[in-house]
Amino acid sequence: MIDVPLPTIRHNGPRPFPPRVSRFTRPFWTALEQGFLTAPKCQACGRLRFPPRPLCPACWSEDHVWIVLRPHGRLYSFTRIHVAPRALDGDLPYAIGIVDLDDGVRLLCRLVNQATFADIGREVETVVLQYDDGPLFAARLI
Amino acid sequence: MAAQVVREAATMAGVSRPDIDAVVVAHPGDHTRQGYFHTFLCSSLGIAAKGNVIQVLGNGMTGGHAFDQAVQLIESGRAECVLAVGVHFESGIPTAQHLDYSIRLTGDVDFQSIFGPVPISWYAMDAHRYMFEYDVPRDTTAVVAVKNREHARFNPLAQFRDPLTLDAVLSARPIVEPLGLFEVPARSDGAVALIVSTEARAKLTGQPYARIRGRGFDHEGIHQIADVPTSALDYSALTRAAHRALTTAGTELADISTFQLYAPCTIVEILATEALGLFARGSGAAAAANDATSIGGRYPVNTCGGCLSRGHPPEVSPLYDVVEACSQILGRAERRQVEGARLAMCVSELGKYNAALVHILEAHS
Ligand SMILES: [Zn+2]
Repeated sequence: MIDVPLPTIRHNGPRPFPPRVSRFTRPFWTALEQGFLTAPKCQACGRLRFPPRPLCPACWSEDHVWIVLRPHGRLYSFTRIHVAPRALDGDLPYAIGIVDLDDGVRLLCRLVNQATFADIGREVETVVLQYDDGPLFAARLI
Repeated sequence: MAAQVVREAATMAGVSRPDIDAVVVAHPGDHTRQGYFHTFLCSSLGIAAKGNVIQVLGNGMTGGHAFDQAVQLIESGRAECVLAVGVHFESGIPTAQHLDYSIRLTGDVDFQSIFGPVPISWYAMDAHRYMFEYDVPRDTTAVVAVKNREHARFNPLAQFRDPLTLDAVLSARPIVEPLGLFEVPARSDGAVALIVSTEARAKLTGQPYARIRGRGFDHEGIHQIADVPTSALDYSALTRAAHRALTTAGTELADISTFQLYAPCTIVEILATEALGLFARGSGAAAAANDATSIGGRYPVNTCGGCLSRGHPPEVSPLYDVVEACSQILGRAERRQVEGARLAMCVSELGKYNAALVHILEAHS
């Protein structure tokens, strides 16, 4: 059981490209708002689903419980983007990375650091970016 | 422009308008104002078809699907002479506006697109990981841009034909790090038309023609990246699709004279050559730097200049690749000619090589 919320970094203004919230994904965004990054764990085969999906890609079961993911992971790779869609123009340049969490989940997210090539393979932890209209998840180098 | 290339292709193939009994159009994308472009085009060209009239769409594979569907219409006996056509105009729209749309394609819109991963950013992350995993410096991977420009210099259809130095590639402004301006595709417009027919009809023309000898497809069941930690560099769908194509063709990799690979970025061409088995993992960049993929090398790749220098109108690129493959095996590639080319492989992909479609073409004269 993980009961310590993730570090939160405050951002003024709304999220640049906000996600939709559905009946299924609402628990994810509510938990993130409270500082917890979660994923549905399949009750039939035990597999974690990320990005969260209502049906398990491995066994097609809908049964799941939301579990809190441990914050620790490693940076698989990253890039810094210099040409963006209009919505993200104000963020340029921004870094995104592929993060492999210790729980066996691979995710894509923003990197809050100015990562360099030497940071690939290094340890990261997940954090919450709190905007005026809701949260996003991100990673930072430890 | 589409109508003009169709007329030119029909003339080259010795086909007249009433001969065309099916039309397959590569979906022109969201930039084209005219919707239902396929029926609009048939109307513009006065083509009435009994076989089929369809528009196909499949990410970067769109043009590959157009060609593949034309081939399948012939194979199934539903048509004898099919027009496969692609047209793409995106330069009328600013890049940022174009990305508003494309960012929704190459990611889960609610859990990935929200962070702004533009399509080529996924390849950029492949490039960083490749450099890290195999200890390859960026200048070795960047050589692919120079090599493709050398090829494009002799391609009258190419968008970029001026010489390009490695220094210029390395010092260009960053787009998606570590890739700079010349390591990613420019924005391009273009149109291609192909005539695909039964062999009996091709023989009647008395002209040399290209025969489709093998075909393979594979999709790994992944949208961009796997949801568990695994190698993002193996492009295994291509390995399997190429194996299927070689098996159906009854041939081996060593017998292929030239390769047309869908590769929007330098790193993609490198990883695709490794997935095909042309070079060992981690050695594709060094092989390119040693001219192994140049015209005159052991495995000439993207003799037209590829996406980077020929140009990359995404829906049309795989059709251009068939044009180049035919030029090579029919001995019409002039100063880009691979000596004695008989078999050519064309590869298109979707996602991040999550799928690959492979055709093997053979000269018949
Ligand atoms: Zn399951």
